[in-house]
Amino acid sequence: MHSPFTNFAAALVLALSATAFAINVEAAASDPILAGFAESAKASTPGFTGFSAERGKRLFLSKQTSGKPETPSCTTCHGNSPQSRGQTRADKPIEPMALSHTPNRYSDPKKVAKWFRRNCKSVLGRECTALEKGDFITFMATQ
Amino acid sequence: MPDGLKPATGTKGATRVWDLPTRIFHWSLVALIATGLLSGYFAPAWWLDIHSWAGYGIAGLIIFRLVWAVFGFEYSRFSNFTYAPGETLRHLRSFLRRQPGHYTGHNPLGAMMVFALIAVISGIVVSGLVSLGGKEDQGPLATVASYSVGKTADDIHEILAGILVGLIGLHIGGVLVESILSRENLVRSMISGWKTRLSSREPAAPRPARPRAALAVFAVAALLIGSAFTVLAGLPATGLTTAAAHPAFEAECSDCHQLYHPSLLPAASWRDMMASLDQHFGEDASLDDGDRTSITGHLVKHAAGHWDSKAAHKFRTISEQEPWQISATPGWKRIHKEIPEADFKRPKVKSKSNCLGCHSDAASGRFHNQNIRLPKE
Repeated sequence: MHSPFTNFAAALVLALSATAFAINVEAAASDPILAGFAESAKASTPGFTGFSAERGKRLFLSKQTSGKPETPSCTTCHGNSPQSRGQTRADKPIEPMALSHTPNRYSDPKKVAKWFRRNCKSVLGRECTALEKGDFITFMATQ
Repeated sequence: MPDGLKPATGTKGATRVWDLPTRIFHWSLVALIATGLLSGYFAPAWWLDIHSWAGYGIAGLIIFRLVWAVFGFEYSRFSNFTYAPGETLRHLRSFLRRQPGHYTGHNPLGAMMVFALIAVISGIVVSGLVSLGGKEDQGPLATVASYSVGKTADDIHEILAGILVGLIGLHIGGVLVESILSRENLVRSMISGWKTRLSSREPAAPRPARPRAALAVFAVAALLIGSAFTVLAGLPATGLTTAAAHPAFEAECSDCHQLYHPSLLPAASWRDMMASLDQHFGEDASLDDGDRTSITGHLVKHAAGHWDSKAAHKFRTISEQEPWQISATPGWKRIHKEIPEADFKRPKVKSKSNCLGCHSDAASGRFHNQNIRLPKE
C-alpha cells in the first residue's frame, strides 16, 4: 500500500533526476567552448569528423622539441597523469587537468584561451590548432 | 696619604648609602642594558621584540631614576652629587695622583659617569624608538617618523651604543680602581647599600626619601607616557599606505607564483615587465590587453615610490642587468648577504624568489623583522 504522500515523493524524485539527467546531456552536447573549437576545426581540417580523446592523450604525453627546452611536454609542469597535481616553476601547485578532479576547468573561455596560448607556445613553440585544443579537452573530459 | 684615609677627614663607621630603590634600579638597568646590547649586536633580526622590550624597560627605569633623583634618599638625589667644575677638576687631579679625596656618596668623577650614562642611555632609547618607528614602521613613533628620519636615528642609535659600551668599560674600571684606592668594595656597597668609609663632608642631616611623592610623580609620568604611546601605536604607520584589493592582479599573478607586493619595485620596472609578459622570467605569461592594462595601472599606482616602508626603500634602486628582479637589487643582496646559498635551496624555500619561505608577512610588503623564520629544512 502506498500512501498518497509516498507516491508524491517518488514522483518528485523521478522528475528531479530526469531533469538533472537532461541538463547533463545538454551540457555535454552544447559546451560552447568545445563547439567553437569544432567549428574552427571543421573549417581548417578537411575530413574532420569530431574530436578524439586518443589524439588528445598523445598530445598531452608527447615530447616536443620545437618549444622551450625547459618545457618539452605538458607533463613537465602538469605531472605525468591528468589525475595528478602539477607544479609551476615558481612552486605553485597546479590542480589536476582531468575534468573529474577539477570540474570547473575548461568552462571559462578567457582562461582556456589564455592557457592554450601561453602553454602551447612554451611546449610547441607555436599556438595550438583548434583540432589540438578540442582533442585535448575531449581527452580531459574522459579522465 | 690619600685625603679620605686620613683620620682627620674620614670617619670610620657604617651607614646605608644606597637605598633599596636605587640598588634595584642599578642592577635592573645592568640586566636590561646587557639584554639590549647583546640582542642588538649579536642576535638575529627576528629578536627585535626582545631588543625593543629591553628598551621600553630601560625607558621606565630612566624615568624612575629621574624622579628618584628628586625624591630619593640623600645619596640618590642629583643635588647630592652635583659638583662645581673646580671641585671636579681637583678630584680628577687627586684621582690621577692615586690619592682621591673620599666621598660618602658619588664622588665628582662617579657623578659625571652617572650623568653621562643617563644622557647616553636616554639618547639610545629615543633614537631607538625613532628608528623603530621610521625604519620598521613599528612602535609608538611609526605614525610620525619617516623612513629617512628613522635611518638617521638608527645611525645615531648605533653610535651611542658604541659610546655606551665605552662608558660601561670606564665605569667598571673606575669602580675597581676606586675600590682599591679607597679600600672599600664598591660593588658590594651597590648590592648591600652599606658603606663603611664615610667622609667628613657628609651632610649634617641626610634628606630622607619621599617614596609617596616619588610614586605619585612616577605614576603620573608613566600614565601620561604610557597612554600617549598606546594612542600613537594605534595610529597608522607613515610607511604603510594601503593598496586597495585588485582581483585581476591577485588572480592572474598568483596563478604561477606568490604575489609580490607592488611596493617592492619602482614603477618603471613594473611598466617594462608588464609590457613584455610573453618573456616573463623565461615563461610566457601573456595576458589579454584589458587585464594587462588594469594590472599595470595597479602596480604603477602602488609602486615603491609611493611607499615609505623599509622594503620599498631597500628595493627601489634596481639592478641594471635584472631590472625586474627584486632579489637582484643591491638592497636585497645587502640584506641577505649573510645567508648561505644552501639555505635558499632548502626544500621549504627552494629559491630566492620565494619571499614567503622565510617572511610570513611578505604578501603585505611589511617584512617585519619579527616575522622572519629561517626554515631548518
